[in-house]
Amino acid sequence: MFMHVFSYRFKCLLHDRETMFWTLLFSLVLATFFYFAFGNLTDRLESFNPIGVAVVDNRAYRNDARLRQVLASLSQPGKGQLLELAEVSEEQAKSLLDTGDVAGVVKVNEKIELVVRQSGIEESILKAILDEYVFMSRTVMRVLANNPAAVREITDRKSYTEQISFSNANPDTMLGFFYALMAMACMYSSFWGLRNTIDVQADLSARGARRSVAPTHKLTVVLADALAALSVSFAEVLILLVYMAFVLRIDFGNQVGYIVLTCLAGCVAGVSFGSLVGTFVRGSGSVKTAVLIGLNMTMSFLAGLMWAPIKDLVSRKVPPLSYVNPAALISDAFYSLYIFGSHPRFFINIGLLFMLSALMCTASFMKLRRTRYASV
Amino acid sequence: MLVDVRNLVKRYGDLLALDHFDLQVVEGEIVGLLGPNGSGKTTAINCILSLLQFDKGTIEVFGQPMRPDAHDIKRKIGLVPQNVAVFDELRVEENVDYFCGLYVRDRKSRRRLVEEAIDFVGLNEFRRFFPRKLSGGLLRRLNIACGIAHKPRLLILDEPTVGVDPQSRNRILEGIRELNRQGTTVVYTSHYMEEVEQLCTRIVIMDKGKTLATGTKEELKAMIDGGESVSVEINFLSPDDLAQIRRLPHVTRAYYTDHRLSVRYDGGEHNLLHLLDFLKARDISFNRVFSEQPTLNDVFLEITGRQLRD
Repeated sequence: MFMHVFSYRFKCLLHDRETMFWTLLFSLVLATFFYFAFGNLTDRLESFNPIGVAVVDNRAYRNDARLRQVLASLSQPGKGQLLELAEVSEEQAKSLLDTGDVAGVVKVNEKIELVVRQSGIEESILKAILDEYVFMSRTVMRVLANNPAAVREITDRKSYTEQISFSNANPDTMLGFFYALMAMACMYSSFWGLRNTIDVQADLSARGARRSVAPTHKLTVVLADALAALSVSFAEVLILLVYMAFVLRIDFGNQVGYIVLTCLAGCVAGVSFGSLVGTFVRGSGSVKTAVLIGLNMTMSFLAGLMWAPIKDLVSRKVPPLSYVNPAALISDAFYSLYIFGSHPRFFINIGLLFMLSALMCTASFMKLRRTRYASV
Repeated sequence: MLVDVRNLVKRYGDLLALDHFDLQVVEGEIVGLLGPNGSGKTTAINCILSLLQFDKGTIEVFGQPMRPDAHDIKRKIGLVPQNVAVFDELRVEENVDYFCGLYVRDRKSRRRLVEEAIDFVGLNEFRRFFPRKLSGGLLRRLNIACGIAHKPRLLILDEPTVGVDPQSRNRILEGIRELNRQGTTVVYTSHYMEEVEQLCTRIVIMDKGKTLATGTKEELKAMIDGGESVSVEINFLSPDDLAQIRRLPHVTRAYYTDHRLSVRYDGGEHNLLHLLDFLKARDISFNRVFSEQPTLNDVFLEITGRQLRD
């Protein structure tokens, strides 16, 4: 009997195009949108173009071998290239500066001069390079004059601090968006839970009435329906995960197992939450759907899925809310993977999600198992 | 007795939906619950099926108190609800198989039963269709197939022909008769008196949650003196003329609505001739003339003072 109800329920949910659109296609479209909207954000922020600089090719410059060597090394094509050097006449240098092809003009006379048209990051970098060069040159000259043996120590720079990673995680701005999207997809499982409760209650649908009249134990029907809803929603979230990982090439690192576990816990919580709303909110199916959408939005907002700072605010001001909000628990589970990469906090979130789901399921069933309705 | 309902009272707030309602159904009958919309037919059915809470009364089905967890009793009942109760996402044959499977575990028997049900309602060529592709009549037939596939001993049909074309309606009614011939006891609710009159072996007339009268159609018609009824199309009839007609011999009731004079007699002979003589004598022009036997509508009118379709 269980398998009979489960298999047909599974088929029913798979053919429910409207819910399928919102719970699967919408998430896929949103993931694609995120990818194209923010995909190059990191590259743009982290990319650096060499700074154009013109050097007046006069006698003093040609005689300053060290400066030429330093500028040449900073202009070496490759990953560390800092400058795009042009050795030109004074007129040409001026012309390049006027047209904006270079950020500054270096002219060597008795002193090294830097001419810029405006103040900005590139100009500041050029100034810092030249200041460092002048400072080091003078220092080396002074040391050579007084203690030539100490020159080696000046050039040998040693760091007395070690840079270590806070966690094994690889925090990436982009990844945060995709984790939030998966959390949203998990919460959308609640629509399947809601549909289940509508189809099982005689006062909400004719199908519910017909099923209530059948000689089948209500627990069997409720459990089979819930398992079907969970299977469909979990499959949807996995499809989303696969799409992001293999089509959009989002790198989830070595956390995939934990991500899948979070998705499962999230779907269980989503289906349970939908069932809870379906059984306890009074009104027609449309009213329940509207309430569910409203609650999902509110919970997502409080979980920081729309505006990140609110999550921290809720955690500090109303801590219990974070523990009973499934969206907050799902997002925090992802957050702990994404920021800390550590698992104690992750498992607390997962544990709380399963406990909350068990409570919601029990409450729903206690209400659903009522056998006669006040009005049909 | 298959169904025994006594003194059933159901309130929705201040509204008394069932007012000490009684119903007895004997095996092999087709019992019709006839009444206007809102008379309490569906409420009574839902109480019998243990879907609705009720305030007072007793309900026994198959000799046992009916309870929501009385699965042994439920196994022998089939329901065809007023609203079509099928899954839009399942094909015709899948819908029938799903609902049949809630009653019959054995897959082989179920396959045979599903085939028989689809064949019975004439949906063979539509078995791979999704419900949204079916016309209203075919959808109603599917609704019936889902309720009868497990071969119930007691079949409850709640207004199964609402919004159905005449062809499908005839097929549905003939199907119900055939099920009854095969041994199924039927409880049929409707506000279409022609259907109930045509189909049911016993009729329960309901209004405002009460049982007004019970009997075969002949017994019910006999309750209203058994006389003939004459209708005459008249363009204009003055209140004075109508009063005169009411004083004619054997006239028990006369009313004039929509250019139609309806006169009921409690016996006597040549009533039609006497009436036409009266109209000629008063120089009242008339068109068509009908002489009819009493209908269930007349019975309802006699008991409540209202038309069944009011």
